[in-house]
Amino acid sequence: MAEVSRKVLPTVLLMLLFTVIVVIFLIPLALLFVSSLRPGSDLMRYGLNFSIDWANANLHNYRLLFSGQNAYFNWYVNSLIVTAIQVVLALFLSSCVGYSFAMYDYKGKGIAFTCVLLVMMVPTEVIILPLYRMITKMGFVDNFLGIILPYIVIPMLIFFFRQYLVGIPRDFLDAARVDGYSEYGIFLKIMIPLMKPSFAAMGIYEGMQSWNNFLWPMIVMRSNNKMTLPVGLQSLMSPYGNNYDILIAGACFAIIPILILFACFQKYFVEGMTAGGVKG
Amino acid sequence: MKRLFTVLAVLILSISFVFAGGSSEAAPAAAAPEMDGSTQGTNTFVEGGTELSLWTFQELHVAFWTQMADEWNAQYPDRAINLTVSSAESGALHNRLLIACQAGVGTPDIADIEIGRYGSFLRDGYLLPINDAVEPYQDDVIMSRITMYGDGTGNWYGIDFHLGESVAYYNMDIMNAAGVDPADIVTWDDYLEAGKIVLEKTGVPMCVVETNDLFLPQLMLLEKGGQYVDENGNPNIDTPEHAEVINFIREMIEAGVCIICPGGGLHEEEWYGFMNGGGVASVCMPLWYMGRFTDYMPDLNGKIGIYEIPVWNEGDVRAVLQGGTGTSVLKFTQHEQLAKDFLAFAKLSEFGNRYEWEVLGFDPIRTSLWTDPTITENPDNKYLQYFLDNPFDILNKNGVDLTAPDIRGGYSAAYSVLCSTTYVNAFEMSIDTPAEELLANEQATIIYY
Amino acid sequence: MEKQNLFKKFIYSQKTAPYVFLLPFAISFLVFFAYSIFDTFVMSFQRVAGGNTEFIGLKNYQVLFNPIFFKALKNSIFYMIVTCCIMIPFPMLLATALNSKSMRCKNMYRSLLFIPALTSVVVAGVVFRLMFGELPNSFMNQLIARFGAEPIIWLRRVPTVWLVLFLLCIWRWTGVNMMYFLSGLQQIPEDLYESASIDGASAIQKFFHITVPLLKPTSVYVLTISIYGGMAMFTESYILFNGNSSPNNIGLTIVGYLYKMGFEQNNIGLGSAIGVVLLCIVLIINVIQLKFNGGIFAKRKEK
Repeated sequence: MAEVSRKVLPTVLLMLLFTVIVVIFLIPLALLFVSSLRPGSDLMRYGLNFSIDWANANLHNYRLLFSGQNAYFNWYVNSLIVTAIQVVLALFLSSCVGYSFAMYDYKGKGIAFTCVLLVMMVPTEVIILPLYRMITKMGFVDNFLGIILPYIVIPMLIFFFRQYLVGIPRDFLDAARVDGYSEYGIFLKIMIPLMKPSFAAMGIYEGMQSWNNFLWPMIVMRSNNKMTLPVGLQSLMSPYGNNYDILIAGACFAIIPILILFACFQKYFVEGMTAGGVKG
Repeated sequence: MKRLFTVLAVLILSISFVFAGGSSEAAPAAAAPEMDGSTQGTNTFVEGGTELSLWTFQELHVAFWTQMADEWNAQYPDRAINLTVSSAESGALHNRLLIACQAGVGTPDIADIEIGRYGSFLRDGYLLPINDAVEPYQDDVIMSRITMYGDGTGNWYGIDFHLGESVAYYNMDIMNAAGVDPADIVTWDDYLEAGKIVLEKTGVPMCVVETNDLFLPQLMLLEKGGQYVDENGNPNIDTPEHAEVINFIREMIEAGVCIICPGGGLHEEEWYGFMNGGGVASVCMPLWYMGRFTDYMPDLNGKIGIYEIPVWNEGDVRAVLQGGTGTSVLKFTQHEQLAKDFLAFAKLSEFGNRYEWEVLGFDPIRTSLWTDPTITENPDNKYLQYFLDNPFDILNKNGVDLTAPDIRGGYSAAYSVLCSTTYVNAFEMSIDTPAEELLANEQATIIYY
Repeated sequence: MEKQNLFKKFIYSQKTAPYVFLLPFAISFLVFFAYSIFDTFVMSFQRVAGGNTEFIGLKNYQVLFNPIFFKALKNSIFYMIVTCCIMIPFPMLLATALNSKSMRCKNMYRSLLFIPALTSVVVAGVVFRLMFGELPNSFMNQLIARFGAEPIIWLRRVPTVWLVLFLLCIWRWTGVNMMYFLSGLQQIPEDLYESASIDGASAIQKFFHITVPLLKPTSVYVLTISIYGGMAMFTESYILFNGNSSPNNIGLTIVGYLYKMGFEQNNIGLGSAIGVVLLCIVLIINVIQLKFNGGIFAKRKEK
């Protein structure tokens, strides 16, 4: 009997602890959801809290999102497109670079790697103005390319992929060469499949970054129907009172795709992280 | 790996199709572009019309501009335009505009520029003078609202949506409960005394002062003939008049008659909730603030009286303009004359002014509307319905000679310091520092060169 | 034909291949980063005004060193230090607990704790701003009223502003950092713990003597990104204070100051000077940090 309780007790305590923490962590989102069920003007009158009249709760705000009277769905689709393109490009290009760092010795590698670390440490905000000028010169203002181009080779990912690949013995490459694979064939046909878990991990990471990116898309995009979701949502906040009906419901709805993505790939995430950048 | 990507791609595509489908099905319902939440709009397309673009930071203005374009096209078919209006949050919009001006590309033809940031756009020469477009309307409108968006040498660059004459809004439930008639309040000293009675009888403060904006102190300063910049446009907040204003507000705070505005400003959610719940007896704001009452303080419907603002000495002028948006033509436009003429038409014609009053609740710049009974006595107007007093009575009484803030050059820099540190320190954090000393310190932190 | 073959051979050679792989980074670095840094540096000596730009020497730097700049710098450094102090031990503890054998439903808890990271800062900022509203009916004030406390003005007073900023940070990043630590934990051999148990070590002893030291690489990694995140913090404060305007600059960060001067005040030269100073500070902090912690960022010993 004592044996059983000694085994069960820690489990119960731990579960209890985590349940409490999770509940606390989910309060803000629950508040957001509850508020999305009532008129935006209620927020002004009664504040953000759980005291809600369930009899009057309805999905009107969500209907407003779907009604096509605003650009919400344009923003949504834009964000999906930008995120998808950016994630795929960033994963492919950054893994190339990481691969070259991990698998080859060549002149200038040290300098190049230092540069990667340098970019990793500098807040993008520092260079946002010259960056904008460049994008203007290239003619990519108000164009998805303008948002995507500066963010397709991500130092963070390069670093991660390098760490991931460095564990693979180089003899492996020689064996592949003997089998008649070209240098690029090795990467495309052998390495990429090997890197699957790390792609999932970094896909989630980069997906989050891209989906939530705010300052840069805000500066690059002009037309309202080309904005991304965070920028669009923020455009609903005005100095003369925010458009809470759409803002809150829109914010709730914005969480969904990234949640699905995460739910699908979260097991790869830990697996990928484990094999990757955090090794000693 | 391939499978992983396929899954990912299919997932994303299917999500987007679901949504794309959702929005296109709903498209027929979207026939009314002036519905809430539309952040972009165009006028009815005219074949062969000139393409013009316009940026605004207030989504309610989108419909204004598109309707003006329709009317313009009806009146001037040979100069037809196709106008695209985009709205964005104020900070984002101004930054985007600024960066585009710096780069010299990607600017719209016309843009709404908020008063607090106007000076810096003007100073770097990004705007075009619009004198020739305004001159045909000159005799019908209040010119001080236009000359304020000028450089002091006779060139004008912007036109506002409204006159923005400041008034005092009283919650009459509270005033009646205290037994005070706002009509008896003439001077600020009267206001303070009345406030003491209100506080004693009802336990509610008379007014609030903002810490993240400047409406009350600026109003008092303008009445004293003071400004935040000197005659050369350099920031100058360290003046004796300004110190007197601060001391008077401090006196009200000390008496409990005035409190710090909940949320810090008169455009914050907390404030709307507080005022709506009867937390304060009065507020002095321009007439364009009527729209905030109707939109965010529904419980005060039929309870708000509109009176003249108090003055320093009996017999002083009570006519002061505050706040605003100077719509201007950017110098990078390809259609200079057309943009200027359309701007003047939209903002200064009778048609435009009617719309501004009826839909947006803005007091018209055109004086002829002040005595037009179809405007001033329109029983269907939601602003006239909401308020107990007719705002046009005050406009007519105060006349056409109005004092406007000087917003040249250094105003933006001064504004930023005033709204981030000066008034917080003056009324909340360092309430014991003598006003003169405080203002000297604050003046030293303004960066302008 | 001959030429094409030669070219193909060159591209496919083992010597060229790494450079081809490196190419995306090289281009992006030179075009977007190096050039931009150079441009920032040049502008920091100018008064930038579209066509009327002029060279003004060190004026921007002279103006830069003012009390508000130092306040912003202090805020950023304080925020960075505190977030580093919270965001390493707390997620590490959680990860260790979650990883324990007695734990059930690990995946569920892990995912739930990760959800906040998936929300945009814009959304999170709005929710927190309203949750911590100063009227009695805001969620937090209702909560503390249960315990008999008076309503608090959260966002306009000094200690509570920091509390909200830190809570926001904890809320958004705990799940992420926990994930890093969880994966770090997978690499600690199970037998280490078993032999420690045989030696009679308590759970606490095991945590401090096995878990913490062996998680050092992960900790250093998390520390590095926390330093970056702390110094670059801007959006949180921007949304929380409804547009970068905190009373008396209590929530102004260094990037916020850059934004305020460069964009809001239209003084891009000064903004660039702030950028250059920020760049130097971040580099110095990181160099020091890496000197102390070394290890994972240095060249790994090749096998």
